[in-house]
Amino acid sequence: MRSAVDVDQVFGTGFVADARHYERFFYVDWVLAQVALIATLWLYSRRGASFARESAAGPIGTGMLLGMLGLGIVWLVQLPFRVALHWWARRHDTSDTGYLDWLFGDWALLAVEFLLVCIALVIVMGLAQWLGERWWMPGAAVFVAIAALFLLVAPYLDFTTHPLRDESLRAAASRYERELGVGEIPLRVEEVSETTDLANAVAQGIGPSRRIVFWDTILKPPFSAGEQRVVLAHELAHHSQRHLPKGIAWFALFALPGAWIIMRATRSRGGMGTPQAVPVALLVVALLQVATAPAANWVSRRMEAEADWKALEVTRDPGSVEALMVDLSETSFADPDPPEWAQVLFGTHPTLGERLAMARAFAARPPDPG
Amino acid sequence: MAARSTSALSTTTEAILEVAQNAAVAAVAEQRPIRLVVRDDELRRSRITVFLRLLLAIPHLAWLLLWSVAASVVALVLWLAVLIEGKAPGSLHDFVAGYLRYATHVSAYVYLAANPYPGFRGAPGYAVDLEIDPPARQSRWTGFFRLPLALPALALAGALGSGFTVGGSLGASTYGAAWLYAGAGAGATAAFLAWFAALARGTAPRGLRELVTYAIGYSAQSAGYLLLLTGRYPSSDPSLVLPPAELPPHPVRIDVSDDLVRPRLLVFFRVFLAVPHLVWLALWSVAGLLAVLAAWLAALVLGRVPSRLHRFLAAYVRYATHVAAFVCVLGRRFPGFTGRESSYGIDVVIAPAARQQRLKTLVRLALAVPALVVAGALGGVALTVAVLGWWSALVTRRMPEGLRNLGASCLRYGGQSSAYVLLLTDRYPYAAPVLHGPPAPVFEHLPPALPGDAF
Repeated sequence: MRSAVDVDQVFGTGFVADARHYERFFYVDWVLAQVALIATLWLYSRRGASFARESAAGPIGTGMLLGMLGLGIVWLVQLPFRVALHWWARRHDTSDTGYLDWLFGDWALLAVEFLLVCIALVIVMGLAQWLGERWWMPGAAVFVAIAALFLLVAPYLDFTTHPLRDESLRAAASRYERELGVGEIPLRVEEVSETTDLANAVAQGIGPSRRIVFWDTILKPPFSAGEQRVVLAHELAHHSQRHLPKGIAWFALFALPGAWIIMRATRSRGGMGTPQAVPVALLVVALLQVATAPAANWVSRRMEAEADWKALEVTRDPGSVEALMVDLSETSFADPDPPEWAQVLFGTHPTLGERLAMARAFAARPPDPG
Repeated sequence: MAARSTSALSTTTEAILEVAQNAAVAAVAEQRPIRLVVRDDELRRSRITVFLRLLLAIPHLAWLLLWSVAASVVALVLWLAVLIEGKAPGSLHDFVAGYLRYATHVSAYVYLAANPYPGFRGAPGYAVDLEIDPPARQSRWTGFFRLPLALPALALAGALGSGFTVGGSLGASTYGAAWLYAGAGAGATAAFLAWFAALARGTAPRGLRELVTYAIGYSAQSAGYLLLLTGRYPSSDPSLVLPPAELPPHPVRIDVSDDLVRPRLLVFFRVFLAVPHLVWLALWSVAGLLAVLAAWLAALVLGRVPSRLHRFLAAYVRYATHVAAFVCVLGRRFPGFTGRESSYGIDVVIAPAARQQRLKTLVRLALAVPALVVAGALGGVALTVAVLGWWSALVTRRMPEGLRNLGASCLRYGGQSSAYVLLLTDRYPYAAPVLHGPPAPVFEHLPPALPGDAF
């Protein structure tokens, strides 16, 4: 609705209409899921403390139990909405994963989430028992440190990728790395084509753990060599512009007031040192996530736009960028010009229409005198 | 003086309670329509018949195979009769009951639970025998759905390594599968170990023998239920074997004080809720390994494990038991992370450090191998109990008492095995699937182990 290009002309009127219909389901599902989530957590914040009697552990152990139970209840409540989304994705061929595979894959993820909640609660409750209400300052700092550590370590924990073998793309990477002023960054590939047709690539890690991971779907037709180079340059630009460390800094900006709000909200339940405060804290975290999503998305969109521009500068190939946007929209069935409110709530990247407009603006600019 | 009087009073009270409990258990056991009865307490075994046991059993196995085919056909007729009349005809009931009794005799013989060569007619009076009530009215609905209803019991019988009753009852076609099924369970494992022990000593270890009889008894109940001899669902409560088995005094015992109520939410997410405990247990295990190495060296030099090390390792064993009880739905509440004594509804009580024989300490790991094998088999039983209990608790919000007690007895053996390996005691674990022993032991004055108490 905002892009300077006529998306109907570029992507086709029929496709745009279909994509909007496809995404409308996501919006409705998301709204319903959020309402259910908040309602459930509100109920849990009022009644959840009664589960404390099911614990033989001390205050922190009981807090962990209440945190995990809250997460489990949320998972149960969200399950129908997620099943509906998966059904919708399968119906439109954007996912090939069977329901059982999807569900069991999800179980493993749930176990990890349970563990992460426990670690978070051990830190917060331990600090709260030690420092009282002042826990939120060191608490936020600890979480920022953990996020940075995770960013550093996560690439080393990945055993599902293999090195990129495409020589021409590797040669292009060397050129772009020189132009962008970054050192050699490992390029890896993750095989996902058996479960999805979606195409993607991600920049991971900081410092010595930096790397770029391509989904194998983006290394195959319909994506041309030129489009793959654009993707490569875009991800390298994330590293050259230090977007990941900057993301941590942004997280710190949100974490500090967020921790203070949690401290204030749980005061009436005895503060975060008592297990009875945990259900309230879960509700506050969920509300904070919804409330800060627009701001976090805005930051993310700015970084993505910057990476897009850098990619245009090093590839000097706006035609491939335009082709990439069209192919991405087809494989992901994405609306190239979603409603403003949807972009505010969900848009971590500029819309495909905006990215297309950027490529055309790059092509139309006067030649560089240098 | 006052303290001693109180202690004596407490011991007397516990003894009275124990007697009352045993009487109640015996009464309950007698009420069950299919009862395993151990008629003699003879543990001596003729070495030559033990050595050749499987070969000697070949005629019985062949005869049992034929009888299984006939029993399968008759069971089908019984099924129709129950559907039409709501009761099994007496003659058909007696035929299948005779078959089941015979299968029990053969199982007991092959698995070394009994010594005499059994007869071929399944006549009552064998050393390990089955008592089966005359036919009674049964619900047509449960009769119609008997096979699916019996599946959980059959699964547990399989984990227990049940002998030849379950598989045989399903007919000749499944008989071979029954062999494999039974061969993998706790009863079969116990029989395998008992074979070596009986060859070496001329007696079957009492604990192993009681484990085998329990497995055979449960299997017989399951088969009887499947074959429509009774409409009463099998009970896995270990105390229902007659006479009830009893734990000999042991420095490591289990204390079950939990109720049977299980909130559904905690049941549904049980495994996930245990994730932090499993991670913590893994970390603790690393420290435990280092501690047990230190304890081993100290016990070799000093003849006893230093108190601090003993307390640390005891807390580790207690914590591991708490976590296992929680995962297996045997315990209700979320356990603590420190393994504190008496902090959980299913707790292991471990006696203070005592002197240990240096020679036993030196070769502890090798000595522990059979116990660890049995512990592994009972771990399989506990896992089956966990799966069945999980479903049951999710539906009924309660853990069946029989399943809970069986699971707790598996944990008791696991705790005793761990304590033995980790040098907390040099008393060998006792395999019989029972929870209660004589009145609470005074640990400093434990009597020496009796012959046959091992395992």
